[in-house]
Amino acid sequence: MIIRFALAKGRVARKAIELLIDLGYVFEDYSEKSRKLIFTDTTGTIEFFLVKSPDVPTYVEKGAADIGIVGKDVLLEHPAQVYEMLNLNIGKCKMCVAGFDNHPIPYGKKMVVGTKYPVIAKDYFHTKNQLVDIIKINGSVELAPLIGLADCIVDIVESGSTLKENGLSVLAEICEISSRLIVNQVSLKTKREMIDPIIKEFENQL
Amino acid sequence: MLFNYTIDGFENIQHQDYFALQQINHKLMSLYRSFGYHQISTPTFETYDLYVNEDSIPSDDLFKLVNHQGKVLVLKPDATLPVTRMAAMNHPNSQEIIKFSYETNIYRNFSSPEIIKKEITQIGIEYFGNNSPECDGEVIALAIRSLLENGINDVHIDLGHVGFINFLFDDLAFSAKEKSTLFKYIENKNIGDIADYLEKLALPDDKKAIILKLPLLYGEPKTVLKHMEALCINDKMRQVVEKISEIYAHLEVIGLAEYVSFDLGFTNQMNYYSDINFKGYINSCGEPVISGGRYNHLSEKFGIPRPACGFAIDLLKVIDYMEQHQLLPQDDQKIHVLFYENSQKSAAYKIAEQLRSKGSIAEVFLMNDAKEIHVSSLKGNALYKNATLYFLTDGKLLSETDGIFSEIKAIDSESEVA
Repeated sequence: MIIRFALAKGRVARKAIELLIDLGYVFEDYSEKSRKLIFTDTTGTIEFFLVKSPDVPTYVEKGAADIGIVGKDVLLEHPAQVYEMLNLNIGKCKMCVAGFDNHPIPYGKKMVVGTKYPVIAKDYFHTKNQLVDIIKINGSVELAPLIGLADCIVDIVESGSTLKENGLSVLAEICEISSRLIVNQVSLKTKREMIDPIIKEFENQL
Repeated sequence: MLFNYTIDGFENIQHQDYFALQQINHKLMSLYRSFGYHQISTPTFETYDLYVNEDSIPSDDLFKLVNHQGKVLVLKPDATLPVTRMAAMNHPNSQEIIKFSYETNIYRNFSSPEIIKKEITQIGIEYFGNNSPECDGEVIALAIRSLLENGINDVHIDLGHVGFINFLFDDLAFSAKEKSTLFKYIENKNIGDIADYLEKLALPDDKKAIILKLPLLYGEPKTVLKHMEALCINDKMRQVVEKISEIYAHLEVIGLAEYVSFDLGFTNQMNYYSDINFKGYINSCGEPVISGGRYNHLSEKFGIPRPACGFAIDLLKVIDYMEQHQLLPQDDQKIHVLFYENSQKSAAYKIAEQLRSKGSIAEVFLMNDAKEIHVSSLKGNALYKNATLYFLTDGKLLSETDGIFSEIKAIDSESEVA
């Protein structure tokens, strides 16, 4: 039996792979530039593959991967039937509403929101009873208010430097985001003797 | 021409799959029958009110329509409610034992960007009027055996009890919102977020420690039972522990305990489950294929208080698994195809009728082309892969094998092996 990891490409995957290596697993053929898709450790007990972050919950929910490591932002935006076992406290940042300082959120009046996260944005403004039009943007979200496509944006903010460089600032914080270790609901039960130690090891690393 | 005629979430079932479905269906129904269950059927439509008042299925997931009287109907989204109502209407004596089995399609209007099946074929049982651990044991045993009998050995049942968490929460005076947030976290085994959330609540530390242990109450039954005992803070919780240890002991007696583990982290998704609930998994299949439990207070709503327990299998998910693992029953019955010249018509129909009366499949066609052309056109058809071809021509009966025609005296319904 083998335990499969689905990792979200990018910064978080690098940290997750570092964690796995710290736990003593050796991936001989892995390097950042490698074009391979699946990497197996030397003992043949675990393997991981890199996918786009919104796909991680899908792979885990359907059982194509047993364990996934992915940001909370993705889990909020694409809810999946998985166990969210550990907060890894890596890749920490905040989900924020950002816009122009001198142009605060006009509560009670309709406004246009540009975001990569339409579900999170909709849920947040609904609970505030704020009327909004939500425009889904796939990248460079900060551009939207600058050229007048949107009044404000909803996006993850890590240091805030991109916002600052573009004359934007945080208007409201929605929630904290960090990477989570998620587990397929069937695998946790049927491969328990292999998954439990891995989770424990991750827990101890924190 | 009609294009764009497929509807997301609805599928045709091909003849091989339907054959398998009928075989499996028959096998399961005879299994349930051998335990005394009677098969019944309820209407495809139900009233909207039945489901909305029950609050067990989100209203958005229901397919709604309005009949000519202006009454709002739904396509049956679940089988348990209608079967319970049927039992209540037809068997008013609440002391009676009633065992029903059913096979039905249910409909859920899931909203999802992906294509999810919205027509689900369910097969299941409901056992009314018995509140004993032996009844729970029988229901769980039948759930396990339903998969075993179809050659699936990697079966795994996760048994929980909604009471354990509910009785704990009853003593802790949470608001409805706090309760539902905690339920959601416990269901997802999200210990990190439970800890953060509890920090904000005014609750003694020992109670917080108990809640933090709830998501970890899963795995080997005896170990879980020990952990559960340590967490009980009232008698009702102790009764839960006693009840599920009795069920487990029963399963040990009948030799099915190896398939069962516990998970007390199930909360109450279908609101009617009042007691034990369980899910059935196949090891390499990512989603549960069986779901069941005890619902002792549902029948009261139809005027007859009576305990009940049951389960349903998602049959098409099981068939998908069986297909991937070459476990599906194959349709390999031979088909006898007889071509005749017009002058031989009555002889041909007589032969076919004789074959059918012996239980064979027989088809007759008029010869309007050369033998070889009939052979090649029929052999190219997937529906005739089990066919043997015969020709009744010039008063002779010919049988075809690999393009060679040989004269035979009669078609033998048994021994003619393709």
